Amino acid sequence: MAKAIKTVSTVVSKVEDLGNDTKRFTLVDQDDWELPPFRPGAHIDVHLGNGLVRTYSLCNEPDDDRRYVIAVKREPEGRGGSNFMHNHVEVGQPISVSLPRGGIALDQVGSNVFLAGGIGVTPFISAIRHLERRGRSNYVLHWTSRGRPVLTDMIAPAIEAGRVRLYDTNAQAKPVIAAIFEEFAGSGLAACCGPAAMLKTFGDAVSAWPEERKHIEMFTPPKVIARSDVPPYELYLSASNKLATVTPDVGLLGTLDALGVDVPVSCGGGICGACRTRWTEGPPIHRDRVLSPAERQNELIVCVGDCAGQRLVLDL
Amino acid sequence: MDAIAIDEPEVTMSWQGVVRFLHKTPRAFLPMRSFPSLELVAGRGIEGDRYFVGQETGFYSHKPEEGRQVTLFEMETLEALQRDHKIELLPEEHRRNVTVEGVPLNHLVGRRFRLGEAIVEATRLSTPCRHIEEILGKAVFDPLINRSGLNCKIIAGGTLQVGDAVRPI
Ligand code: FES
Repeated sequence: MAKAIKTVSTVVSKVEDLGNDTKRFTLVDQDDWELPPFRPGAHIDVHLGNGLVRTYSLCNEPDDDRRYVIAVKREPEGRGGSNFMHNHVEVGQPISVSLPRGGIALDQVGSNVFLAGGIGVTPFISAIRHLERRGRSNYVLHWTSRGRPVLTDMIAPAIEAGRVRLYDTNAQAKPVIAAIFEEFAGSGLAACCGPAAMLKTFGDAVSAWPEERKHIEMFTPPKVIARSDVPPYELYLSASNKLATVTPDVGLLGTLDALGVDVPVSCGGGICGACRTRWTEGPPIHRDRVLSPAERQNELIVCVGDCAGQRLVLDL
Repeated sequence: MDAIAIDEPEVTMSWQGVVRFLHKTPRAFLPMRSFPSLELVAGRGIEGDRYFVGQETGFYSHKPEEGRQVTLFEMETLEALQRDHKIELLPEEHRRNVTVEGVPLNHLVGRRFRLGEAIVEATRLSTPCRHIEEILGKAVFDPLINRSGLNCKIIAGGTLQVGDAVRPI
């Protein structure tokens, strides 16, 4: 049986050099079909091939549903993702991306105060376009940049209307973050995306705010479907002589996947039986709704399974 | 329902349903689009759909599955989800091609029936798929167990339109 498709296939339809070491990439479906939906300020994993996966916020808004727009600043000291994007990604190239995740839970009626450092503005560009499209002006963006800010073309009406405060830190003082948020302490949403120092100052400024009223943009890992609370255990695949450790965040199925084992998975939820696998050492934890007690003696539904002991041996 | 001939070993099925919605999508994960009609091709599938045999780009791209050339879903399930679970699942969200009303899908496995001018054979019940929850952000996996639709292969092709009758042979 074959491996399930796990990514969305897109094609690069546009690459724009925005200056200030930043490029904007537009990804579309090859037939211009709608892409999977997302929330304002969501992010996607971009699979760059040879194992490089990088997460970028979408700059466009949910109603603009036939493209994913991302902006990438070149980080010469980075881990290689931004350089790869800048040097090798061209118009016409196929690119696999994950389903969008995350997003900002905007305050629908109250105020939304956004604080961004440099390219960290991307999720707020999405949020602002979303709000503006609905004719709403219940937000303000404070945005610092070193030199000329990029992506301003995507929120031009908001800038014109005075809802964006720009601080070119090469030429002027940085904003006083605590003062910005003090005014809104009573209600509304506060959100920040930027360098670590900014996130820290922001965190301090809103430390007394209730959790649901603040958003610190951190890329969330893909949702673990069969989340488990069992301690890590060793996994040995006897037929292929492979060894790995299963940790709760990756899970059994994720570990098998990482080992490159092609287990057929269909429902992913323990009801179809597609992933049944023989085990010889355990005992396993069974969470499926497929196997009989007798079958469980030597078979395991791995998409929702785990190990109750130190070591699980599967016949794979 | 009409009188059922209890004495007969082969119970004659008497029901009559109708096609309410038609959907397809060319690739895995992309939203389904609604169409007034779909082209069913015998032995292959729906023209332009992700599971069309010969150019599969569905969830299992490398696994042509004869039995999944066209998939059906009951309108009544959408209503039950709303009523019993307060979940609004839209016809374009369940990811099956044909939303029917008045068709007892769970009783049709192994049988042939008419879908508009086409004839299909039910191969097996669909199972819900965990990734649908991820796509929709709705907790529909459990409520869809045992009523996630029907997979069929196409015995005789034809154009299928919204409003077409679905009936036993
Ligand atoms: S994939 Fe269906 S039970 Fe594991």
